[in-house]
Amino acid sequence: MKICLMSYRGNPYCGGQGVYLMYIARELVKLGHEVHAIVGPPYPFEMQGVTLHRIGNHNYFNVPDFVKPHKPFATFQPFNFYEFVASKLGIFPEIETFSFRAFLKLKELQKTHRFDIIHDNQCLGYGFLLIKNLGVPFVSTLHHPLSIDRTTWFEYPSDFSLRVKRVLYYPLIMQAFVSNRLDRIITVSHDSAKEINLAFGVPMEKQRVVYNGLDSSIFHPLTGVKKKRNQIIFVGNVEDRKKGVAYILKALTLTKHKVHLIVVDGGAPNRRFVPGWIDRFGLNDRIRFMGKVTNEELVRLYAESEIALSPSLYEGFGFPAAEAMACELPVIASTGGALPEVVGEHLKTAYIVPTRDPEAIAAGIDTLMDDPALRRRMGKAARARILTTFTWENATKEMVKVYQEAIDAHR
Amino acid sequence: MPRAKIYGYLAIIVSLAAAFAFLYFGFYDTIIGRPIPSSASYYAIAIPIGVVTLAVLVTGFWIGWTILTIQVVKPMPEIVEKKDYAKAKAFLLCLATLALAALFAYGLYLQSFWALAVPAAVITLVILGMVFWVGIAIITTRNTLPADKNS
Repeated sequence: MKICLMSYRGNPYCGGQGVYLMYIARELVKLGHEVHAIVGPPYPFEMQGVTLHRIGNHNYFNVPDFVKPHKPFATFQPFNFYEFVASKLGIFPEIETFSFRAFLKLKELQKTHRFDIIHDNQCLGYGFLLIKNLGVPFVSTLHHPLSIDRTTWFEYPSDFSLRVKRVLYYPLIMQAFVSNRLDRIITVSHDSAKEINLAFGVPMEKQRVVYNGLDSSIFHPLTGVKKKRNQIIFVGNVEDRKKGVAYILKALTLTKHKVHLIVVDGGAPNRRFVPGWIDRFGLNDRIRFMGKVTNEELVRLYAESEIALSPSLYEGFGFPAAEAMACELPVIASTGGALPEVVGEHLKTAYIVPTRDPEAIAAGIDTLMDDPALRRRMGKAARARILTTFTWENATKEMVKVYQEAIDAHR
Repeated sequence: MPRAKIYGYLAIIVSLAAAFAFLYFGFYDTIIGRPIPSSASYYAIAIPIGVVTLAVLVTGFWIGWTILTIQVVKPMPEIVEKKDYAKAKAFLLCLATLALAALFAYGLYLQSFWALAVPAAVITLVILGMVFWVGIAIITTRNTLPADKNS
């Protein structure tokens, strides 16, 4: 097959879109397909066997020096000026302008390449309606509807101005409109499929669930690393309301064991409210922020920790939980979104708690801390689950089936 | 004919017809030198301004309505530092946009000059303000390395 992948941000170090693109492209090449990728900045690294087509954009969000000295009048070009105005009004224009620029690029590529399928990654801009007109089957991966992010941003601490910004920021109307007009929507969990149906009205029969994979060659247990007594770990953006950090902090005040929490997050600039909450709960001596770490450092932190926490209010998939499981670490996960689908069975592959329940999190921490044998058993079962269910190889094989189905339906 | 092409032709026909009506009714009276422009002239100008104005007001109302209607779980008392007045402010935003929309519609009904002039001024000044902002940015952007970096 000749496949054209699209991702409005291509770099794997700048978000999940880039990671998804990198692994799917790599596995598709391994399966012998011809893979092209139309990508927006930050661009991905060169990938063996993948032809990259880079398209630019002008990022005006929180960028004071947005004029490029070598192209001073570029902001007055129509797409750029739209991006400028929209950004200054608090609207997120990147995916919309990417979709139109991708259309122009595809139109140019169509002269020399005849793609069998186009596969977008969570963009769903209006420009895709023009791409549909090119007559090539078109599918898109929607990890979860952004309406969930918007709703969780409304939770405390959120004031009127933040809520106004969030309503303007998320392009929900556009994504709902476009997602209903593509040939298939691929999503990463059954729970996400249900949420996409609820939020955007995409019929279930038009959606296909293809679980994400996990690179178990990166995330694996380390031999010779000693566990640090009472150390537990949380990985995620602490200011993202979806992650349920306030409930972790409360839980730490309720545990019998005086556990210490390691937090791997985006670094100090991304912490606004959480340091104040830590003061309020009197947890200053029990929490250590690590900021951004490399994958190698993260695997070491998993190896040194005794439990991982993932009590999110919602996850479309839940990579941090899956990564910890791949490292043979027992995970306390909530029932938020797709987490139960990923972590598996309670007390076998994970300890599952209701969302927003600090008492249950605390009980989970104490149960696991009291029982090292259970932790070991759970860790091993967790890794086995990841290795059998969540591999990029499986994900890509399933993806190819969806491509074929879309192509057959298009004929 | 494919549906997309039908929409394409419709877009061309509608835009040409609207452009002709706008120019003919909006400027014909002025060009032939009539002292008092007709109602048609007024509404030819009022319709495009009205569409943009209503789009802005509807967006404002939609923001307020969304904030009012999204159910939010109460926070844990331990982390609450301030009272949340967002819903009250959202209600005021909805009221304000409705009042402005009613005022605008009444102004159009009276064929008031100010009903067109005020929104036109706001829209124009916002766009000009953006262009001004970019202009300032171009003027103040460093295009060579500063002296200390050169040395």
